[in-house]
Amino acid sequence: MTFLALTPLQTAALALGTVAAVLSLYFLKVRRRPVLVSSAILWRRVLAEQSARSIWQRLRLIFSIVVALTISLLIAFSIARPRIDWLTGKPQRIVIVLDTAPSMNTRTADGRTRWLHAVDEARALLGLAGPYDEFRIAETSGDTAFGFTSDAAEARAMIAQLAPGGVEPRFPVLDGNESHVYFVSDGVALRGVPRGTEAVSVFEPAGNAGITAFDIRPLPSDPLAYEAYLEVDNSGERKMIGVTISGGDEDRITRTVSVGAGEKYRETFDLSGFRGGPVRASILSKDDALASDDQAVAYLPARRKIRTLLVTPGNFRLSTLLKYDRNVELSVTTPASYREVPDVDVYVFDRYTPTTQPSKPALLLGNPLTGAGVLHQPRITSWSQDHPVMRHVGLQDVSIRNVVKVDPQQLTIIAASNDTPLILASENPRRVMLTFDLSSSDFPVQAGFPVFIHNALAWLSEERPAMHAANPLFFNVNDSTLGDDHVTESRASLLHHELWFYMLAAAIVLLMVEWLTYNRRITL
Amino acid sequence: MSTNATCGLFDDRFLNKLEHLSFISKRLLAGELMAERKSRKRGSGLEFADYRSYVAGDDFRHLDWKAYLRLNRLILRLFEEEQDVSIYIFVDSSQSMDFGTPSKLDYARRVAAALCYVGLTNLDRVHVISFAGNIASELSSQRGKQQIFNVFRFLTDIRPAGATNAKGAFLTWCSESKRRGLAVVISDFFDVNGFEGGLDVLRHFRHDIFAIHIASPDEAEPQLKGDLMLVDAEDRMRRDITVTPSLLTAYRAEFERHCKAVENYCGRYELGYVRTMTDFPFEDLVLRIFRQGRFLK
Repeated sequence: MTFLALTPLQTAALALGTVAAVLSLYFLKVRRRPVLVSSAILWRRVLAEQSARSIWQRLRLIFSIVVALTISLLIAFSIARPRIDWLTGKPQRIVIVLDTAPSMNTRTADGRTRWLHAVDEARALLGLAGPYDEFRIAETSGDTAFGFTSDAAEARAMIAQLAPGGVEPRFPVLDGNESHVYFVSDGVALRGVPRGTEAVSVFEPAGNAGITAFDIRPLPSDPLAYEAYLEVDNSGERKMIGVTISGGDEDRITRTVSVGAGEKYRETFDLSGFRGGPVRASILSKDDALASDDQAVAYLPARRKIRTLLVTPGNFRLSTLLKYDRNVELSVTTPASYREVPDVDVYVFDRYTPTTQPSKPALLLGNPLTGAGVLHQPRITSWSQDHPVMRHVGLQDVSIRNVVKVDPQQLTIIAASNDTPLILASENPRRVMLTFDLSSSDFPVQAGFPVFIHNALAWLSEERPAMHAANPLFFNVNDSTLGDDHVTESRASLLHHELWFYMLAAAIVLLMVEWLTYNRRITL
Repeated sequence: MSTNATCGLFDDRFLNKLEHLSFISKRLLAGELMAERKSRKRGSGLEFADYRSYVAGDDFRHLDWKAYLRLNRLILRLFEEEQDVSIYIFVDSSQSMDFGTPSKLDYARRVAAALCYVGLTNLDRVHVISFAGNIASELSSQRGKQQIFNVFRFLTDIRPAGATNAKGAFLTWCSESKRRGLAVVISDFFDVNGFEGGLDVLRHFRHDIFAIHIASPDEAEPQLKGDLMLVDAEDRMRRDITVTPSLLTAYRAEFERHCKAVENYCGRYELGYVRTMTDFPFEDLVLRIFRQGRFLK
């Protein structure tokens, strides 16, 4: 037995004090009220008979003291908040992770949603916990972070604050000290569950048609022309689905298609008639279980050339390359006459670094801002093929004579030798920087150089829509990794409150019984 | 007669009702003086009783001359002689009688006064004796209605004192008074030596006994609760008790047993018995219950 509110010594002192107080009160001489009776003859006979035949009369005092001591000790020990592990089970740290992916809004057969079922499951898990267990409520959006609490009511309030969101779900990071981790999910959007986590499924198949893919991409034949790709998955019965692709003002494409059960509808839409801006794809069908996957938004870039200002002391190859790029509207100036102008999308600084940071995106070729020495003939050891700037660009045959050693700091290294970064990029401010001079490298004559310049200018001038797509996640609400088997909980605790609660309740009940028996003079 | 004259015991209207009552004695008791009660004694009454042969010394006036002429024998006519009877009213004046509201002693006083009035109205000899541990006081032979004031004064002057010892008191009294009569014992019959002893003494002296058992409602249904110190009104003995419902039930049963014991005793020896509570209307007791109990007529 351990005590949560007092030390064992304090508890023992409290118990002893209580016993002493009760005993001393019990043996204090109470002055009895004198009552005159006409004759005590009958009373004497009655008392003689009663005392002769009743053992209870003799035990009454002892019994009364025992009852009073029990009541007072129950109260005293409840103040100390005792905990008995074999009775209440060892205290556990329980984490309940609720899946807040958009698929949890899927409607179920009973008219509710998977989310509401998940909330019920989470509350049921709280109800099964022991009185000394601690809870932490977590969710998969990463927007909220609750700490551990031992108050089940507080945990319920935390659950009430949560709701499914539109962000990509991620299993929260746990510190590993948890006794039990429950993941209440439909197993659709977040498919991987860490080992040791007990999954509680709220999955239930639903008749739903939803957009599972929607993207806008440029046409390979014309970089300024775009097309939209739409994929719709029908997991319910065959149904007619109305498809609408709409942009600003009058830009709209509509279709009505018949999609069979379990089939996908895929189609590309030519957006050459659309102006730039957000483009919305929406579908409409009967008896749809989830509304949030009936719409998706993508961003259509405005079709115009990249206004580029090349600042160079003279670079024929580079200026020719940019001059003949169909996507580029080029202006050229020298470092001496450079000043920032408003109608420029991208600056290209060749062997020149401006004294003040330009407000627009910039490609810096050689002469980096800070240098820590020069490295001769570095060997290119790695480059990122995932970065948009390096897409379709190979550096395996590039040789460099001199490179300035730089400290990358906050910049992203997208190509590097063993000793120093060679190409760096940053999102804010948007920059791409080569730490070597083009004239000291054969990179400009490599086949990948025009592609690199094209990628760099495209990435630097890329329009960033202020809004996010309404549904960046595409999923099939009937494709669950969990199935619809619910967890059978076996560790339900008998006690749902701390021991002091039951001790105090027992003391109150005993006190009432004692009061009743005292008034009936059964006890003293 | 005003209420003041009766010392507050009862009013004139009630007294008028009492004048029509008289005692019923199971035995024909010998008296000394002429009165309105039949006696076994043959004498100079008006009511013919029997014949017998004349013997020397008989009163010539009672010879039946017609029978002599017819039978040629002297035959004497006998008449029932109406005599008075001695009525002894024993009033328990022990401390236990000073209990209840009204007190049992007050109630006993009124009962005794009423009975005395009935007796005096019928020209009986009325004796009133208060007793406790011994004979406390005595109002000797009263006869005639005009003596009722002495009775009232005597009863009013009785003060409760001492513990009951009826046997001792009655033995003392019987050893001094030889004449048998109607003995009315008004008591609560709380006697540490047992109520039977006192009544046995009166029975052995061949008195016609009538027991009037007076109890207080507080004795029958005591309103006691909790830890108490009982004080006996007679011997002042103290005793700590804790009154529980079961104890109260046991007490009630014991009280009932006590009353039944007195009643059974009287029944066994054919003694008159009436039990009353002090909250019972006094007039009803005298005018109705006593008559139903064949005590008064």
